[in-house]
Amino acid sequence: MTNPQDAPPHLTETDFWKHQAIRKIWDQIVPGEPIETLPHTLQLEEIQRLCRAVGDLNPLYFDEAYASKTPHKGIVAPSYVHILLMFTCTPINYYMRAPGTINAGQSWSYNVHARPGDTITLQARALDKFIKKDRLFVIHDNVFFNQHGQVICSGRGWTIRPE
Amino acid sequence: MNRNFDRIEVGTEITGPVFAPTRQTIKDFCEASYDHNPLHLDDRYMEGSFGKTQFGGIIMHGMSHFSLMSRMLNDWLMPRGGVHKRLETRWLIPVKPGDTIQPTGRVKLKRQTKHGCFLMIDIVMTNQRSEIVARGESMAEFPPAAG
Repeated sequence: MTNPQDAPPHLTETDFWKHQAIRKIWDQIVPGEPIETLPHTLQLEEIQRLCRAVGDLNPLYFDEAYASKTPHKGIVAPSYVHILLMFTCTPINYYMRAPGTINAGQSWSYNVHARPGDTITLQARALDKFIKKDRLFVIHDNVFFNQHGQVICSGRGWTIRPE
Repeated sequence: MNRNFDRIEVGTEITGPVFAPTRQTIKDFCEASYDHNPLHLDDRYMEGSFGKTQFGGIIMHGMSHFSLMSRMLNDWLMPRGGVHKRLETRWLIPVKPGDTIQPTGRVKLKRQTKHGCFLMIDIVMTNQRSEIVARGESMAEFPPAAG
């Protein structure tokens, strides 16, 4: 992992207010327009930190000797690794970081597991936006790929945008 | 076509892990997910209103639910030769520090296609007051080679 002082701000900044002025608000989001994304090399420590945060101690994510004897032939990331990839693969000005962004629902389809050391890329866009029950909604469309061009997972999310 | 798939009956219940979020577990999830939205950290901010919604305090990440449901599915499917292929969730009631939540699942449909064997599983996440705080629907596949 990069030294903390060298790490890019989208991996280190914990104050989500700081860059708020440069993020698009609902009015400026154009459905269909691809968003800027960043490749990310997935670290074993990142996988395991996420697993621990939800109490998921499955040896497939922790024990190389165990994992190498499974059909996966080594440690893999759990299906839900897109939770962290959504932030590692997007720049600091991505509107998903806007304070007050509320998750209304998500659906994810899984293809191949992500693995430690994979260089992961994201193709993403807002697919739709609308007003419902006086709330500002955006539908997000996200697909993560590994360095072999294989789809890791694809997801759709509904967020309520802050006003 | 797949003996593991054949052994599973519609109506089978699946019990997931009990989780009791605290300020610390929410902070840990912020760090693990790189999601430091003030919804999960800033009490003063959360005293305000969000359009029609008032939360009255910090809330757990929606994706915490998502990962707990996923954990339940992966842990149940893997020893049975099944593969977690899809999860859709809707969040209904915010979860706060001090709550205790648990996902449960129920196999609602078995379906064979030309090349695969699939299960559909309904999921509910309940809190300590037996309120449904989130709902989910999952699809699992049983690959022919594993049967």
